[in-house]
Amino acid sequence: MKVKGYSYVTSIALISIIPFLWVVMLSLKTNEEILNNPLSLPSQLIFSGYGNALEIAPLGQYLINSAIIAVVSTALNILISSMAAYTTTRFDFKLKKPIVIIMSISLLLPITALIMPVYSIIRFLGLYDTKTALILVYTALDLPMSFFILRAFFLTIPKELEEASYIDGSSFLQCYGRVILPLTSPGMITAGILHFIFCWNEFLYALTLTASHGARTVPLALNYFTSQFAFDYNAMFSAVVIMIMPSILIFIVFQEKIIEGLTAGAVKG
Amino acid sequence: MKNNKIWLYLFSAPLILFFTVFLLAPVIIVFGTSFMEWKGFSGNITFIGLDNYIAAVKDPEFIVSFQHTLIWIVLQSTIHVIIGVSFAIIISRKFRGWKILRTSFMIPNMISASALGFIFLMVFNGQIGLINSLLRKLNLEQLAHNWFFDPSTAFVSVTVTWLLFAGLIMLLVLTEIGTIPDSLYEAADLDGASQWQKDLFITIPQLRNVLGTCMIIAATSKLKEFELIYLTTKGGPGTGTMSLPLYLYNTSIVQNNFGYSNMIGTVLIALGLILIFIISKVFKIASDD
Repeated sequence: MKVKGYSYVTSIALISIIPFLWVVMLSLKTNEEILNNPLSLPSQLIFSGYGNALEIAPLGQYLINSAIIAVVSTALNILISSMAAYTTTRFDFKLKKPIVIIMSISLLLPITALIMPVYSIIRFLGLYDTKTALILVYTALDLPMSFFILRAFFLTIPKELEEASYIDGSSFLQCYGRVILPLTSPGMITAGILHFIFCWNEFLYALTLTASHGARTVPLALNYFTSQFAFDYNAMFSAVVIMIMPSILIFIVFQEKIIEGLTAGAVKG
Repeated sequence: MKNNKIWLYLFSAPLILFFTVFLLAPVIIVFGTSFMEWKGFSGNITFIGLDNYIAAVKDPEFIVSFQHTLIWIVLQSTIHVIIGVSFAIIISRKFRGWKILRTSFMIPNMISASALGFIFLMVFNGQIGLINSLLRKLNLEQLAHNWFFDPSTAFVSVTVTWLLFAGLIMLLVLTEIGTIPDSLYEAADLDGASQWQKDLFITIPQLRNVLGTCMIIAATSKLKEFELIYLTTKGGPGTGTMSLPLYLYNTSIVQNNFGYSNMIGTVLIALGLILIFIISKVFKIASDD
């Protein structure tokens, strides 16, 4: 029974990573070797595919766009959700309940259903095909998740420190800036990592709201490859590795934080 | 403390603004224009009542997309959840190497769905694909073919790109298992219960709430599934793997038939609410927040 269980989990884990290991391996083989024997280990390691991938496709530009969008949107998303999480966990006011309710409904909204109106709102605002469009849309679509992760975090922090700071004569803003922000930074990092990965990976809205190299992000580079790279497998697989590595590395390094955030955010729904 | 009131509203305002512009307004537009004829931004908007809904019932592509979406929801909320839950129960014994297994299982969930779709396009590729190469190695050449483009295997191949990768479900369940009091297991040990009996009679009943949450997450995830289909089969061959999100994309962004696409959007949102309602009722999820 025990052995069966172990081999079951081991085989599922293997199925989960073998495609990735295979792609990494192919990125290091010559085109000829890929075509003749896709399963064998590389007879010699070829790294030129990585250089070619960055040259042929506008992958370099896309990487920069993705980084700018993800960083700015993460800052904005975390600041906005932290402020709302603060007011809705610490104070009783009229908007408290409505905010929590609308956020929990939004958490499970199939966001794919909203592409047409979001597309028309972005065009209306004159932001079509800009990085700003993706920054604003990503910030908004992922607010419910960050909001609940931060709320869960705020609820674990004792109120005494804030009360002490108010007694010392701090204003609302001073208390938020000097007491709350530092205390909740671990929660903000968790929510921030998850939001960064969300921005880095998002495809549908990037496809819909952008058209030129100046605003397009890394996941869209794949569309480009299927036509441009059709015969340069080595460069194509290198490009895929370049695309997925940031998410995988961030996950491996911040694993415990990400797991904590995912469970806190999801269970609230 | 009096002027705190103003700060409370100021601190909530950005969230409410973003919610209103990018979530609430879109939902209202989706619902409202699903009763309109609206073709292209320069086109007129005319109220046509339920005509879009009536047209959908007679539209074979809508019907087949609806059926596929339902099939995927059912598969996802059963097989996918079972894989995640069983994985979590087994690795919750924390034997040597459990963390490596957990990390490996999570990786397909952490990378972009578009990259995952692309990788699977290569795994199932006719010429250099992993699957066909393995089949050839095993002298099963006759089974090798182009999986995503053959009507008899396209649906199954697309399903494989998400069905097994239940990393998120596994995490939620694993965390919940960590909160089950040890005393329950100790009592069972005294009664001489086997590991298998403890899993079945202690762990699983304690997981009721989280199982409901997992089923909701799994089921609703298929209402937004786009990338993994778009980058592999684009809904084909024919309409063999067409789904509601993909059909919505085609009718709105490609054909600019906005009224019709927003009818599909309304159907997706309604399906989501129905699923959440049914699953919460079945699992009697306590709403304590």
